[in-house]
Amino acid sequence: MPDDSPREAWTGARQISPLAIGVAVYGLAYGLLAEQAGFDALQVGIMGAAVFAGGAQIVAAQQLAAGTGAVAAAVAGLALNLRLLLVTASIRDVYAGQPWWRIVLGAHVTTDENWALMLARRAGNQTAGYWFLVGGGLCLLLVWCLATVAGVLFAQVIPEPKALGMDFAFTAAFIAIARSLWKGRGDLLPWLTAVLVVAASIGLAGLDPSWALILGGVAGAGMAGVIGDA
Amino acid sequence: MHETWFVILALAAGTFAIRLSGVLLGQRIPKDGAWARALRALPGSLIVSLAAVSLLSGGPREWVAGLVAAIVAIVTRNLPVTMVSGIAAIALLRHLAP
Repeated sequence: MPDDSPREAWTGARQISPLAIGVAVYGLAYGLLAEQAGFDALQVGIMGAAVFAGGAQIVAAQQLAAGTGAVAAAVAGLALNLRLLLVTASIRDVYAGQPWWRIVLGAHVTTDENWALMLARRAGNQTAGYWFLVGGGLCLLLVWCLATVAGVLFAQVIPEPKALGMDFAFTAAFIAIARSLWKGRGDLLPWLTAVLVVAASIGLAGLDPSWALILGGVAGAGMAGVIGDA
Repeated sequence: MHETWFVILALAAGTFAIRLSGVLLGQRIPKDGAWARALRALPGSLIVSLAAVSLLSGGPREWVAGLVAAIVAIVTRNLPVTMVSGIAAIALLRHLAP
């Protein structure tokens, strides 16, 4: 059997490109913020490759710049990343039976974006496996590192993502991907549960969005487990 | 200086541990029954939650732009087109109603 993995990785890298543009814009903005928080270009490059979680890096740099201290900054970033536990758990077939080094590589490069893209592709009845995920992930890793370092180096000339409407790029992407994941009325109750739990967590309980996200995801999934297949 | 290195190391180690724990947890959840159904429904619920959190952290302009993106997504089922529509809608709304 021919080895299709390079081809599949390339497909993943190509298909992630609209999301990679959003990642690049955020990377530039993050580099700017990180510079203000006291990181240099080398640290930002290492951080991008080693942490590889944009939202958490932004939150941590904001906290550090606001003077809350290193421990609080790291805790805030990690709280936001707890959702990644659900993300990697939800695609268990991708890692099943893989050698350890592929599990390590695959887990490290799994992000919201390539995970969601892989799910959307599968929902469209196309195959997308380990190398599709890793190809997209490595492409995003490269873009993220380059953009964040560029953000530090060219801090003076970078526009705010919000001024361009780019802060909405990922919201719109998640809406598009939710659309392709919709399988029918059986999804209605779990999804409604997720939205209501998120809204109640933020609006009524005043919870941090990091926790609202996790509660919403778990509540929706729990609802699907309880009501059975529709 | 050492504060920044601490944050980098703590985030890198913690984030990798979270990602790997998810992989290990996923392998241990039963292959059928209620737990398996819940795990199958998890991606959709989590995506919807991600969208809900970011829409709720905005105001009426973000909600309208979200509605535009949702309509475009339903009609076109196309990721780049939906992204461009959403970005254009929010940029326009912020320009018209600052």
